[in-house]
Amino acid sequence: MGLTSESDAKEAMKLCMFDLRRGQTEGQELDKILFFYPADLPITNQLSVIGLSEGLITFTRIFSPDAPCEVIEAEKHCHVFYEVEADIWMVMVVEKENPESIWRVDALRSVLKEIHSLFVMFHGYIRALVDKEPSGGLVRSHLYYFIMDFLSDFSIGKKLQLPNFRDSLKEQGTLQMLTVGREAAIEVQSLVTLLESCVGNKQCYSMTMFQDLLVSTNLSPIDTLNLFTYAVLRLTPIALFRGASAWSSLRKTDTACSTYAGALQVTSISAIDQYYNSHDPPSLRRHNYPLVRPLQHSKWSKGKDGFLTTDIWGTEVNSLLPMCPTIWLHLTEEKMFLLAYQHRGLTVILLVPVSSVSGDQGISMLKQQIIENASLKMLKVEEKLSRGWGGENAYHVSGYRYLLVDGDRYVSRASPPGKVTTLTKESLVALSKLREEVDLEKARAKWDNSGREKDIEICIRAKNNSWLIARLVRGKELYMVLEKGSETLLFAADATEKFSERYCNGAFSLD
Amino acid sequence: MTGDASSSALSYSSGSNALSHVYIQYPPLRCHVPGSRKLFYDDGNKLILSLTPNQVFSWKIATYNPYAAPSFDPISEGSVLSIRYSLDLKHLAIQRSSHEIQFWNKETGDTFSQKCRSESESILGFFWTDCPTCDIVFVKTSGLELYTYGTESRNLQLVQTKKLSISWYIYTHESRLVLLASGIQCKSFTGFQLSSAGMISLPKFEMAMAKSEANSKPILAAEDLHIITVYGRIYCLQFDRVAMLLNSYRFYRDAVVQQGSLPVYSDRISVSVVDNVLLVHQVEARVVIIYDIYADSQAPISAPLPLFLRGYSKANVAFSQTASRTSGASESKNLSYTEETTYGDQWKFLVPDLVLDVSNGSLWKISLDLEGISASSSEVQLILEFLQRRKLEAEKAKQLSLAIVRTIILERKPIPMVARAVDVLLAAYSQAIKTCSYNKRSRTEEISSSNAPNAAVGESITGIDVSRSINHKPESVPGYDSHNRSVMATSESDGPSIEKKERGDLLEPGLLDFYSHVFSPIKEEMTGDGSYLTAITIEFLQSCSLEKLKVYPNTYALLVQILARDERYAELGLFIMNKIIEPSKEVALQLLDSGRQNQQIRKLGLDILRQLSLHHDYVLLLVQDGYYLQALRYARKNKVNTVRPSLFLEAAYISKDPQHLAAVLRFFSDFIPGFKSSADHNTYHRFVAELNS
Repeated sequence: MGLTSESDAKEAMKLCMFDLRRGQTEGQELDKILFFYPADLPITNQLSVIGLSEGLITFTRIFSPDAPCEVIEAEKHCHVFYEVEADIWMVMVVEKENPESIWRVDALRSVLKEIHSLFVMFHGYIRALVDKEPSGGLVRSHLYYFIMDFLSDFSIGKKLQLPNFRDSLKEQGTLQMLTVGREAAIEVQSLVTLLESCVGNKQCYSMTMFQDLLVSTNLSPIDTLNLFTYAVLRLTPIALFRGASAWSSLRKTDTACSTYAGALQVTSISAIDQYYNSHDPPSLRRHNYPLVRPLQHSKWSKGKDGFLTTDIWGTEVNSLLPMCPTIWLHLTEEKMFLLAYQHRGLTVILLVPVSSVSGDQGISMLKQQIIENASLKMLKVEEKLSRGWGGENAYHVSGYRYLLVDGDRYVSRASPPGKVTTLTKESLVALSKLREEVDLEKARAKWDNSGREKDIEICIRAKNNSWLIARLVRGKELYMVLEKGSETLLFAADATEKFSERYCNGAFSLD
Repeated sequence: MTGDASSSALSYSSGSNALSHVYIQYPPLRCHVPGSRKLFYDDGNKLILSLTPNQVFSWKIATYNPYAAPSFDPISEGSVLSIRYSLDLKHLAIQRSSHEIQFWNKETGDTFSQKCRSESESILGFFWTDCPTCDIVFVKTSGLELYTYGTESRNLQLVQTKKLSISWYIYTHESRLVLLASGIQCKSFTGFQLSSAGMISLPKFEMAMAKSEANSKPILAAEDLHIITVYGRIYCLQFDRVAMLLNSYRFYRDAVVQQGSLPVYSDRISVSVVDNVLLVHQVEARVVIIYDIYADSQAPISAPLPLFLRGYSKANVAFSQTASRTSGASESKNLSYTEETTYGDQWKFLVPDLVLDVSNGSLWKISLDLEGISASSSEVQLILEFLQRRKLEAEKAKQLSLAIVRTIILERKPIPMVARAVDVLLAAYSQAIKTCSYNKRSRTEEISSSNAPNAAVGESITGIDVSRSINHKPESVPGYDSHNRSVMATSESDGPSIEKKERGDLLEPGLLDFYSHVFSPIKEEMTGDGSYLTAITIEFLQSCSLEKLKVYPNTYALLVQILARDERYAELGLFIMNKIIEPSKEVALQLLDSGRQNQQIRKLGLDILRQLSLHHDYVLLLVQDGYYLQALRYARKNKVNTVRPSLFLEAAYISKDPQHLAAVLRFFSDFIPGFKSSADHNTYHRFVAELNS
C-alpha cells in the first residue's frame, strides 16, 4: 500500500473528470465526479477542486461561450482545463513549487487529450457510457482502471513524471515516422495491398510500424494517432520487451512493490472499493461489470504464429482462446477487430470490421490466411526496412537539437532523447517558455481566424548564450536549440537555413 | 489435347475469325506463267522459280507481296532436277541429272557443266553457301564436295571433300545446316553448318525410332525431318510415324540434345515457323497446333484449330479479277477455277512460313492471328509472355498486351494476377531498352529474322541468343542542362513545353503507352473503385522500380486524382512524402487541383513546385492564396519577374492592411524601373490613402 499511504498528502498532481450535467442539485454534488486522482483525497478536498473549476467555467462562459476557461495560473498551482466532451471536463492540477515543475500548459493538456481519445477508442464516448447507466458506476469503473493504468506509464519511482520543460523538444500527440526510401515504401504499400486482399472484400484498415515508428497507414489521421499511441505504449517490440521485464521485476520484488505499476495493481482494488464503499451506494462489487483494461501492463505477448495475443478482452466462454481485441474508429464509430502481427521490428496492425467477421472462427481463419499469403512478404519488408534503418540516433543532426512538427499531419520528429539530455537546464527552460509564447500566439491566430496560418520567426539569445529558434511556416513548426554557436544573429539564421534546406526540403527557408 | 475454344472468356477480341489462330491471306502470289512445267523454291535467295522450256521466272518473296511481278532469265532446254541462283544472283546452277550440274554466268553468258567423275556416285543435290571457304556444296552419295567458283575460269575448284555414304540429305539456308542421313534405317546423321563464320561439323548422332513389330525396321525419310530455326536456335524435328510423335533435337556446337516430343494426330504433317512460333500442321486432320518453344514448355499455345483463309470471298474474287484485267495481266483464267482448299494434296510447305500450292502455283504466306490467340487463352501471364516475344507484329502484339491488361483490370481480376501481367510487360519493355532503343526494335528484329546468319550452332551448350548479341548503339540522349529550367522556365507558356521536351527524350515510350492505353481509359470506367486502382498502380510502380523504369508523370497525377477522389488525403500525403509519387509538375498541378477541397493537399502541391524550382507557378499560387509578402520575398530571391505587380497589389489591397499595401507598392517602386509612372502605381497609391483615412 506504499503509494497511497505515503503520497496522499503530498501528491503533486490532481486529475479529475466531472460531468456538469450531473449532480446540479444541492447535496448531490458527488454525482458529478466521474474520476478523481488521487482517489483517496478527502471528499471535501475533491469537491473543492471541482467546485472551483466549475465556478470558473461557468464564469468564463459568460464572456466566451465557445471557449471557456483553459488554464488558471495560481501562485503555487496550475489548473489545466480540457472539455473532453460536451459538459464533461477534465482538470489537471499541478504544483509549481518543485524546481522541476516548470510546465507548458499545452503539453499538459495534450496528456488529457490523449487519455480521452484513447479511452474513446476502447470504450466509446463517455457521454454514451453515462447515459447507458445513469448511476455512473459503469463509467466510473471504466475510467478508474483506464486512467490509473494510463498514469502508471508516467510513474518514475513513486512519483508521476508529467511532461515538463525537459520535454520541450517533444510534441505529445504526434506521430513519429520512419523515413523510408522509395523502393521500400512501395514494397510496404504492396504489402498493405496484399493484406487487404487477405481480408477479402470488406473494408479494412492497416497500420505498419517499424520499431516505434510509423511506416504506413490508411487510417484517418485521428485514428492513426490513437492507434499509434497505443501501439507505442503496448504493442511494439520495445513495449513488449518493457512489459516483459517489468513483469519479471515485479515478480522478484513481490512484496517490496518498488515500482508504481506494482503498487497500483496491489492497491487499486482496495482503493476503489474504499472509494465506492464510502461514497457511492451502488458499489462496484454489486454490479460486476465486465472490465476491459487495455492499458494494463504486461498483458500482451507474441504468439507462436507471429500474432500478438492478450487476454485483456477476456476469453471465449467455451474455450480458453483469448477474445480478439476490439476498438472503435473515431470517424465512423465502427467497431473493429484488432489484429497485430509482429516480425522482429515490424508490427503490422490490421483492423477488420466486427460486423464482417463471423466471430473468433473467422478471426483465426483470417490469421491463417495472412500467415499463408503475407508472412513471406512481411519478412521481406522487415529485412528491407531494417537494412535502411539508422538505429535510434538515425535522426540526430549533429550540432542541432531540434523539434520539427507538421501540424497538418500530426507528425513530429525530434533529436533523439539521449542527445536532448546534453542540453543545459537553462536552455530547456528557456525553450519551454518560448514554446509557451508560441502556443499563445498560435491560439490567438486561430481566434483571429483569418483563414490563414500565421508565419512566425523568433530567434532568441538566451542567458546562457544559447540560441533558441522557433519558426512557423504554413502549418509546419521548427524549434531549435543551438548551444555552441557564435553570437551573431546571422549565425542563427544561417544555421536554420542550412537545416531547412538539408532536412526539410527548404520548407523553413526564408523565401 | 481437345482444348476447348470456349475458354475464350476474354472479350477483347477484334473482328478476326475466332475459330483460327493461323491464317493465310487472300490473294496469294500467283507464281504461274503460261507453259510452266515446274516450280522450285530457292531458299538461299528466297525466290520462287517457275520453269518454262526456255525460261526461268523468279519471284522475290523475301518481302512477301502478292502482286510482285517476276523477273526472268533464259535457260537452255533439258531436264531440270533442281535449280538455284548463287547468293549474289550472278550465277545460275541447274542440276540436269544425277551426274551433272550446269552453270550459267548471268553477266558473261558463259556456261559450263560439272559432272561426276565416277559412275558409281550420283549427285543428291547442291546448294550455294556464304561460307568463306567455298561457294557451292554438292551433296553426293559418296559425301560432300565443297567448291569455289572461279570468276575468271569457267570451272569449279574443289576445296574440300567429306567422304561418307549418304542416303539423303536436308538443308535449309536459314539454318545453314545440312543434315546427312546414312545407315539402313537412315537414322544416323552427320551435320555440318556452313555459315559465314566457317564450317562447323556437328557430332554424329542417331535419331530415336519406335518399332512397330519386333523385326520391322522403319526407314526414316527425308520428308519426315524438318530443320527449324526459332529464337536463333536450331532444332530438328523428326516425325516418328510409328510412335506418332514429333521428336525435337536441339543443335549446339558440341552436342545434339533431344528436347522432347510433341504429339502428332495425322499421318501427314508439316511444320512452319512464323515469327519464331512453331506451327505443326496436322495435314490430314486439317488443323494446326501452335507451340512456342522458348522455355522448356512443350505445351501448345492454344487448341488445334484449322488454318483460316482470310479475305477470300466471291466479291473479293470478282474484285481482283477486274483489277487484274485492268492491269492487263492474264491471270483471270486461273482465278476462275480456284476453289481454294487448305491442306490440299498439292500443298508444299516451304521454309520457314510459306505454302506453295503446286497445282495452281499459288504461294501463300502463313501468318499468326495474334488477336485470335490472345482471345482464346485464359492464361493471361502465358499469353502476355507469348505476345512479348512476337517481333513481326511487335506493334500489334504490344497493343494486344495492353488491351489484355486493361481488360483484366476492368474485370477486377485479383491483384496478384494483374501484378504478374504487369510484370511481364514491364520486363519486356525493360529488356527492349537494354538491348536497344524501343523504337528501333521492330526494325532491327525484322532484319535479323530475315537474313541473320543464324549462327546458333556456333553457340556452345550454355549458349546465348543470337539476335540478342547483335550490338545496337543506344540512342544518344541529348544533353539538356537540367539547370536551365530554373533560368528559362520563367514564363508560363515556356515552362511546360521545355519540360515535356526534356522528358520525352528520356522517357521510355512503353510506359507512355501503358499510361495512355491502360490507366487513362480505366480511370474513366472505374470511378467507384479507387482502392483497387490504387493497389494496381502501386503494383505497377513496384514493377517499374524493379525494372528501373521511369514512370510517366501522368500516371502519378492519376494516382493523386484517384486518392483525392476517395478523400484518402492522409494516404496521399504519405505517398508524396515517401516519394512513392515522384514529384513532377504534373503531380503538383494535380495536387493543386485536387486541393481545392483540402488545404493540406494544396500545400503539398505548392511544396513540389518549390522543390522543382518552378518559381513562376509557385509565386503565382502564393499570391493567390494571399501570402503576398512571402511571394514577394521569394520572387526577389529567385528573380521571378514574370508575375504582374497588380496581382500582388490586389492581394494586399484585399487584406485591408494599409501598411502592407504601402510596402508592396514601395517594393515595386524600388525594383521596377518606371513603375512609379504606371497606372497601377497611381491606382494603388490612391487606395493606400483611402485605407489610411
